[in-house]
Amino acid sequence: MSSHTNGGSPIAYPQRYDTIPTAILSQVEQQDRWLKSSESKVLSNFFSSGAKRLEIVATLTQNANAIVSAAADRIFHNGSPMVYLEQPPNRENLPGYTVPPRKAAVRRQETLKLQTPSYGNPLRGLSEFLKTQLSDDRDPLPGGFRSINIARYGSVRMKRSMRDLAWFLRYVTYAIASGDSSILIVNVQGLRGVIPEDVTEATVVSMREMRWRSLQYFKKDAEAIAIIQEPFDAMITAYLAEKPPIRLRQGISNDQQGLVLPESYAIAASVRPKFVMKPHLAETEKQAVIKAAYRQVFERDVTREYGVSLAELESKFRSGEFSTKEFIRQLGKSRLYRDLFYAPFVISRVIELATRHFLGRGLSSPEEFQGYFEVISKGGLPALLDTLVDSQEYSDYFGEETVPYLRGLGLEAQECRNWGAQFNLFKFSAPVHKVPQFVTLFGEYQKPLPNQHPYGAGNDPLEIQFGAIFPHKDRDSDDHPAFFDRDSRRILISCEPSNGNGSHNEVTWGKVPGSLEHRILRLNSPVRSGGSGEKSSQGVSVNLLRYSPDAVVLGVYRQIFGREVFTDQRLTMTEVKVKSGEITVREFIRQLAKSPLFRGMYWDSLYVTKAIEYIHRRLLGRPTYGRQEMGRYYDLCARQGFYALIDAIIDSSEYIETFGEDTVPYERYVTPRGLEMRVRGHVNGSGNPLDGDRVYEGTWMKAALQRVNLDRRNAQLSFHNGKSGTLGVRVLETIDQHLVQPNSHGAEQAAYAEANPSEPYQTETGVPS
Amino acid sequence: MSIITQAITSADREARYLNVEELNSIRDFYEGGQNRLRIAAVLSTHERQIVQKGSQTFWERCPVTPSNSGNRTFQASCMRDQGWYVRLVTYAIVVGDIEPIEKSGIKGAKEMYISLGVPLRNLVECMRCLKEAALDLLSLDDVDEVAPYFDYIIQGMKP
Repeated sequence: MSSHTNGGSPIAYPQRYDTIPTAILSQVEQQDRWLKSSESKVLSNFFSSGAKRLEIVATLTQNANAIVSAAADRIFHNGSPMVYLEQPPNRENLPGYTVPPRKAAVRRQETLKLQTPSYGNPLRGLSEFLKTQLSDDRDPLPGGFRSINIARYGSVRMKRSMRDLAWFLRYVTYAIASGDSSILIVNVQGLRGVIPEDVTEATVVSMREMRWRSLQYFKKDAEAIAIIQEPFDAMITAYLAEKPPIRLRQGISNDQQGLVLPESYAIAASVRPKFVMKPHLAETEKQAVIKAAYRQVFERDVTREYGVSLAELESKFRSGEFSTKEFIRQLGKSRLYRDLFYAPFVISRVIELATRHFLGRGLSSPEEFQGYFEVISKGGLPALLDTLVDSQEYSDYFGEETVPYLRGLGLEAQECRNWGAQFNLFKFSAPVHKVPQFVTLFGEYQKPLPNQHPYGAGNDPLEIQFGAIFPHKDRDSDDHPAFFDRDSRRILISCEPSNGNGSHNEVTWGKVPGSLEHRILRLNSPVRSGGSGEKSSQGVSVNLLRYSPDAVVLGVYRQIFGREVFTDQRLTMTEVKVKSGEITVREFIRQLAKSPLFRGMYWDSLYVTKAIEYIHRRLLGRPTYGRQEMGRYYDLCARQGFYALIDAIIDSSEYIETFGEDTVPYERYVTPRGLEMRVRGHVNGSGNPLDGDRVYEGTWMKAALQRVNLDRRNAQLSFHNGKSGTLGVRVLETIDQHLVQPNSHGAEQAAYAEANPSEPYQTETGVPS
Repeated sequence: MSIITQAITSADREARYLNVEELNSIRDFYEGGQNRLRIAAVLSTHERQIVQKGSQTFWERCPVTPSNSGNRTFQASCMRDQGWYVRLVTYAIVVGDIEPIEKSGIKGAKEMYISLGVPLRNLVECMRCLKEAALDLLSLDDVDEVAPYFDYIIQGMKP
């Protein structure tokens, strides 16, 4: 079962590897205690070995190329393998990749001396070669090992091999610096499935060679040798190990997702001990298990905090009369649990919290919730607890004696549809939320697509240019799920004048009420318009004020920057060129868009999604449709950057079709929310434009849909009558394409009727409605 | 999380070895390690003392507050939370990063206290008293190390 919806996305920081301090602290934190003295000792040793470790890292880094080259020489012959080692791309020159300038830390002690790795000189290489061949403590080649012929191996595979060798060494230095090999194990285990099996032996040989080679720099230093050997050995063992099986989430059913978690994530997750009760445990260990049970069921260690002690249960548990499972069940049925997690909450939330306490996860689906709800309404809290504790899932995961634990990131694959709620549920502050989170979230899924940008509501520019901003008080847009899939497209409302010149005899179908009348500004350049008869005929009838070159240039500024820019910000030279007809309006817009002013406004300071959205609206006059379109722009931005994006938009066929060379771009589509704001602002004059229902439930939409349906019926009728209807259906694109051009008259009419209930609505155009 | 992980993450993103600056910052981290452990040990052995002194000053400064109202549960949970924050500070000192505090002590904590009906203003005052009580035990150099973590908590709790 897979779900294409997601449940909001709080940022999760999965742990990717451990260092000694993080590993220790995560355990200490889990058990809510101070550092033990044994742990402080480990940390203390770790800190004091620091200087040595860094010295080793510096040396290895400095000799990186020599080491990699030695390893490669060991397994390849007939050529120079180092030729195939590519330097990592210099990302600093790639677009959008600006590294903040870092200042060298001023230190009292002398700083480490470290040069960039360099190829050794050839003569020294020769002597090294001889030395290498003559030394006796090298790892012997395994029997039957034959080195690989470079010429036959092929340059592509060669490049990959060299890259991997360099990668191994680099990660070894990371592991040495962090003092823990987990970064290596996590990344290397399972590599055998990726690297072809026939080179496994060669890879191991080269790793051994690197280890030997690295040890040569610290021949007499026993401590350093130990430090270097440890990560190399761990890496070789991890590489030789079979690819670990993936972990399956248990309890797959129609309503629960059975997801898989790659083992490497499970290894990377922080080590959290599980508590298991056994009869022969020492008293302190039993105490630890009891505490763990309290932490799981009551979310905190109740005995210490409230001085409450469930002495009777505890002693029965200790003596072995209760199994852990029974103990957990009794804790749940205790008065304390009822006071803490039943009495203060609504039933839905009680169920959610109970799944956390007794199954270690959140609710998985509405169906599951319905099942539990039925149980709790019939038998109350005890029945629910019995169902949870006696469930198959409980015994699969925790069995008879293990104390339940939270099955969070890294312990298990997390589900998509309850992602956000689950993360919130695992937080310490979960009992503070009185509103049931899963149920409301699942409820959201039934609703239509929210009227927002596919990548989050925050990416839509403000729909109003000037005026007050009224945030939603009752809705947190960040936290709400946006389950746009790859193919869904936003509904955009066309506000393009129907026939291009805004003649008043036509029904202005897409006219957004309240917006200024569209004036399409077109530059009739004296030089180039001579050839086109159509243009010159239009030029005669046109109001000079409106179409004068100055007005066009001003219009361009207004469209591109959203305002008239200050005098010294204008590109005067380019203006002259466009006025004299040397360049077209399209070219002028390109230059404006590439100006530092535009870049500063819409690119430098914005996150890329929002930047694209803004630029797209400015240059092409419509919001983006959805993830596919955005995906193409992302690709462009990532590979080629800002200027390529501008070129791509201005050279797009859509631009050329709609605006051509001489027309100033104008707003062609608005989002429903944008439309609603203007509608309401227009009719009521003032008031909070965001008050009222969501747009898709709003009055204008209802009116528009009614209108469309009515028209459709009319059209069908008239089709049957054999003549076309007066109105017809003017849906520009079909609903399948998610692009509807609704009848704004309906909207205007509805809004009008709302504002003036007594007066009948009159259409300007005289179309009967 | 810690300085080490940060350095590795940024180096790995650019597919290069750790550079001098990163090595130096890690080295600072290593060298300060013993000192930080010592400070953490001082705080943990004197936890009870710090909490008691902190809450006394707090009740002197803010006499009207739930934990001073005579309700034993409130009083106990107030002192429990103070101990908890002192412990979070020691975690942060050991790792050299605010992350442990942020993860379990700041995110959502404000909302939690609001919903429990604890006045945030008093809470901030309480943290301030706790800070003073803790810093009283330490030498001047150590104060520089510890104070920022308490300040971080205070800033995170500001209403």
